[in-house]
Amino acid sequence: MRVQTVPENTVAATPSVARTPLLRLREVKAGYGAITVLHGVDLEVAAGQVLALLGPNGAGKTTTLRVVSATHPIAAGALELGGREVTGASARDLARAGVCLIPEGRGIFANLTVRENLWMMTFTGRSRAEIEAVAFDRFPVLGKRAGQIAGTLSGGEQQMLALARGLATDPAVLLLDELSMGLAPLVVAELYEVVADIARQGVAVLVVEQFAAAVLDIADRAAVLVRGRVVRSGPPAEIRDDLAALYLGSAT
Amino acid sequence: MTEARITETRADRFIRELRAMKIPDPAAGRAGLWLRTGVALMAAGPVLALLAYVLSHGTTDPLAQRDAIVLALFGIALAVTGSALFLRYSLTNFLRFWLARQSYDLDRLADRVTGEEIGV
Repeated sequence: MRVQTVPENTVAATPSVARTPLLRLREVKAGYGAITVLHGVDLEVAAGQVLALLGPNGAGKTTTLRVVSATHPIAAGALELGGREVTGASARDLARAGVCLIPEGRGIFANLTVRENLWMMTFTGRSRAEIEAVAFDRFPVLGKRAGQIAGTLSGGEQQMLALARGLATDPAVLLLDELSMGLAPLVVAELYEVVADIARQGVAVLVVEQFAAAVLDIADRAAVLVRGRVVRSGPPAEIRDDLAALYLGSAT
Repeated sequence: MTEARITETRADRFIRELRAMKIPDPAAGRAGLWLRTGVALMAAGPVLALLAYVLSHGTTDPLAQRDAIVLALFGIALAVTGSALFLRYSLTNFLRFWLARQSYDLDRLADRVTGEEIGV
């Protein structure tokens, strides 16, 4: 019996899937040696949803992303993906299943060309042509610069390349760390529009940001992490109003 | 079933694949055990070879000497197996770190060559 599948990038999240959180953290604690960074974090993101995780420096935002991508061990609590507890799974297995982390600093190979950077993602089993088609369709400017050394791209284009590489893995859960770092506000807004569009395809997106304005425009929900604890979560509009007080610790 | 697959979204496929995934219990990790086994075999191999030399040297009986040769070969095989296990479970971690470090260094070098990061 031949099984047909519809290309994922043409399918919106179905209501049944949208109700099931693709990503859930339950009372997660994690740290580095004797220092505990996350003190029981609870979060959940459904398919097609963008959750903005905000907080000041040192709040544990990046550690949260590392825990979700299994690149950092969980000391206590549970990580659930697609309704299944996957605490203890390897980063490689989660990446293969569809968890994609785009780290702060973009993680591109600056000495390789744009095209070669994209080809690195052929480990997913997709052909070079398929990967290039996905990337250049989403970011036409990268197509024009396919032969250019990635390190010579502008900051915004490098971030586009990082996103394009992430998309090449056909992610179901996309984790973004400080997408706006070092970029002009207009470029950040443009990139977040792309992120919102990715989420509309049914991808669960968890965005970590220190500078909240741009991401709150596209987020479905937001949570504020302060000293390893989620001190507030809710609709972006509510969070935006209280953000300064939450960062400074005078509101809970 | 075919119809179900036709309407399968990426999220559905993600859930299905995760359910099928075998997730090892981290507490039952055998990496440390295999590493120690590798070290033990690497040590046992030369000991057996040395023992075989002593046995062979202490007799004029050709049959006993042949037994000693077999024992020595077995010791060498153990040492090779132990080395392979040791490499698999220790140096691979180091080499992964080394590769990551190389990538980072090349990245930094490219930044220096091309000047500071260009903002848009």
